[in-house]
Amino acid sequence: MEYKEYKYGIEVTRPLHINTVKKVERKDEYPIDTIVEGLLFIVGDEGLKIEQCAAVMDVTLKGMEEVFSRLMFKYQKEEYAFELVNYGGNYKFLSKSYIHPFASKLFQTTKTNALSQSALETLAIVAYRQPITRVEIEELRGVGCDMMLRKLQARNLIQEMGRSDAPGKPFLYGVTEEFMDSFKLISLDELPELPDFSSDENENLFE
Amino acid sequence: MSFRVQIDQFVGPLDLMLHLIREQQMSIFDFDIDVLTDQYLAYINEMEDLQLEIESEYLVELATLIEYKSKKLLPKEETILDGEYEADPKERLIQRLLEYQQYKEITEQLSDFYHQRNLQMAKPISMEVDHWIKKDDSTLPIDGNAYDLVKAMYKVLRRMKLSKPIETKFTQKEISVDDRILQLKARLKDLDETFTFETLLEDCNENLHLAIVTFLAVLDLSRLQILTFFVDSNETIWFKRG
Repeated sequence: MEYKEYKYGIEVTRPLHINTVKKVERKDEYPIDTIVEGLLFIVGDEGLKIEQCAAVMDVTLKGMEEVFSRLMFKYQKEEYAFELVNYGGNYKFLSKSYIHPFASKLFQTTKTNALSQSALETLAIVAYRQPITRVEIEELRGVGCDMMLRKLQARNLIQEMGRSDAPGKPFLYGVTEEFMDSFKLISLDELPELPDFSSDENENLFE
Repeated sequence: MSFRVQIDQFVGPLDLMLHLIREQQMSIFDFDIDVLTDQYLAYINEMEDLQLEIESEYLVELATLIEYKSKKLLPKEETILDGEYEADPKERLIQRLLEYQQYKEITEQLSDFYHQRNLQMAKPISMEVDHWIKKDDSTLPIDGNAYDLVKAMYKVLRRMKLSKPIETKFTQKEISVDDRILQLKARLKDLDETFTFETLLEDCNENLHLAIVTFLAVLDLSRLQILTFFVDSNETIWFKRG
């Protein structure tokens, strides 16, 4: 079977696979992994959550979790340029990091978005101690943080999480989903453990 | 002593202190507060010589350091410790430095995560689908804000006033907002999917008080998301069951 179409005025003959076209009518004939892959491709950086996907595919959360872990495993292989990641419960495709040097060559740039030392310190404190007020952060850092908190809020890395009961009802801050993504975290439990400096009193830490 | 200052090296006074302690090869648990204060002061002076703006936080900590130092010079009263024990200021400083150091250290790891993540890129959502999402949003009647609602309410009240006969009997029937909410909830079942504010006012019989109570009730219902509202270009208030 073939059909004809005109492309730039030239007649082209293409084979027509009626069988494959017919299949579209029944979604369950397609492997669920492949459909989910397609959905992930479409949603791009918005990402997909297990709950959303399970509802669409009409499978259990557990089942969907399995699909996602199979896909994650599959894309870890070197032959794929993308990998499937889960940051903050949001699954999405990312290009692998070893592509980056070539991309920056392609676009002739070496720029990456940097966060200043102060920004990182402030973020670290918020992430480990959330919900936390501005005053508490300042106490820990010994530096005023008002502007910094606003900047981080503008970059959508932290958010207000209600108010504290302390006098003046100050805002409490916590990290956002964007933060989880920016720091490659599935959940806050994944944060590295804070180093313990207080246990070994005899050790000279600076040697 | 030669002493090189790097301008952007420190992100705060605690950072500077940690650096000085390290430079003097002192332990964080047992440093000499005199040496630290002198070094700290030297650094601040150097910054001044270079005409750098010194942030007030550095001066606050300097004042604290000097206070510790001067307290040490005063003769101590030998008292038996009972009850209230005032924490040694140095202990407190050590505690702060230790805690700060924890976060400073972890920052390096986080920075590493951040850097790694920056090397990986995602594609935005497909344009066609993005369009669907937006279209979906516009069907929800959440257009307009509370001020639109007040404006529209004003129009309703004015119309009511105009339609009122000049001679009228006035009986005031007081009903609370809560009771009115119950009444409205009961009526909602019999109403269409979308309806105007006027429809809700039908049983008000030109009673201004009741109209206002209705309005307040409606505000509460939309707060509870039992109703959603939108105001069209003719400033008619439309409701939809939420």
